[in-house]
Amino acid sequence: MAPLPISRDERSAAFFDAAAQGTLLLRWSPATGAYLPPTAHIDPSAPLSPLEWRPVAGTGEIVTWTVLPPGGDVVALVELAEGPWLTVAVRGVAPTALHEGYQVRIGFERPEGGEAVPVALPR
Amino acid sequence: MTGELSGRAAIAGLGITEMGKVYGRSAAEFAVEAVTLAAADAGLDLADIDGLLINPGVGGDIGLPLHTALGLRELRLLTEMQGFGSSADGMVQYAALAVHAGMADVVVCVYADAPLREDRGAGATYTGAGRRATGVDALPAAAGLRSAPAKYALAARRHMERYGTTSEQLGAVALAARQWAALNDRAQMKDRPLTLEDHQSSRMVADPLRLYDCCLVSNGGIAVVVTSAERARALRRPPVYVLGWGQGHPGYPMSRGSTFGLVTGAAISGPAALKMAGLTLADVDVREIYDCFTYTTLVTLEDYGFCAKGEGGEFVASGAIAPGGSHPTNTGGGQLSSYYMWGMTPLSEGVIQARGDGGVRQAPKADVVLVSGNGGVLDHHATLLLSPHAAT
Repeated sequence: MAPLPISRDERSAAFFDAAAQGTLLLRWSPATGAYLPPTAHIDPSAPLSPLEWRPVAGTGEIVTWTVLPPGGDVVALVELAEGPWLTVAVRGVAPTALHEGYQVRIGFERPEGGEAVPVALPR
Repeated sequence: MTGELSGRAAIAGLGITEMGKVYGRSAAEFAVEAVTLAAADAGLDLADIDGLLINPGVGGDIGLPLHTALGLRELRLLTEMQGFGSSADGMVQYAALAVHAGMADVVVCVYADAPLREDRGAGATYTGAGRRATGVDALPAAAGLRSAPAKYALAARRHMERYGTTSEQLGAVALAARQWAALNDRAQMKDRPLTLEDHQSSRMVADPLRLYDCCLVSNGGIAVVVTSAERARALRRPPVYVLGWGQGHPGYPMSRGSTFGLVTGAAISGPAALKMAGLTLADVDVREIYDCFTYTTLVTLEDYGFCAKGEGGEFVASGAIAPGGSHPTNTGGGQLSSYYMWGMTPLSEGVIQARGDGGVRQAPKADVVLVSGNGGVLDHHATLLLSPHAAT
């Protein structure tokens, strides 16, 4: 199943610009050096310090997953090496091979009529 | 030491409409009937009600206009409240506070919903369809994570991976609920026995959750009357005292260290409620736990401490929670097998048990009944400790 087409808003423009180039951006807190999920509004440890976008390597591991009928699509929570979690479709892995800690890398798909979105691929 | 407000408020009335595949009536109509039934149960006139708390669900089909639909005049307290599946227990807590503060004397808390239609299946409800996918907040939906079962499947799978919990153990929760439902005339699945083979062969909804791991969908409404312990003692039915309460909202970070799927807010709300009531876990006779999925019952039992973390699977498979077991749980059949009215499902059965009105399913001892609500995807939790006895 192709990802649901998704449209950008002002807050997500940088994220989707980078995704179109095959680069994953996370939020980054200059005050603490912490990486945060793309959805983060603040760094709770430094709430008054503005966040920046930073490119990351896009490696991570499976935290948990579900397999959805009828097509057997796999959706997983992936913990990136930098710490944040992403919810992504998993491609190219048999569901029976998955386990907590399964190593993945982030790639991108661009469904027709939507922005490029991250997916997990076997590393 | 017992909290100052322990036992100072009581549930004095319970109203439950016809429930399940009841068509042709709106949520507002169910809500009006539930409030009317609850007041009558307490031996009160509608005019005695001076506070109304409304949980509008997710459909938004009921809300503030309910007070005019009921003809309630000059209310002193009226608002909509939202904690998703924890709303029912939360409303009782705020009602008790309002009564103590003198804002109102008789507060009715109500929930009603009518998602089922004759022309479509239960699976077509609560889909969130039509929501627009915009920005990074929509990434999960874009990836395919669009239904409640899919989201809870992520939580359940994590628990299974970490602790070795099995689908058969989830099935034990479904079977226990169905066995209790067989004893409950209000249960939608009263006459539908379930075997472990049925559970294991039922269709996958969102792996690892099968059809019989998922709760029902119901049309109906439920309301309770909350008032002071003193006033409740003068009313028609024996008071159900609210001995303790608590809430827990984990605020799971989407990052390393999150306990999503492993620990719920019950680990916060449970100890808070017990402390307020001056009770320990061993004092709890009956558990009414929000069971939107079999996994939810299992993990919540762990978080209250009825078994050790990670041992919920073995605990439920031992028969502990089924009729005749050591830990009677979801004695009406729960949301899995009786009716799905958000947090009003466990709350209504908790009141029934504390009153001793359970009939053939009445637990052998119901001096302390723990009622547990869960909302969102394990995001919101609330606990009540109910008793037929006033705090001492």
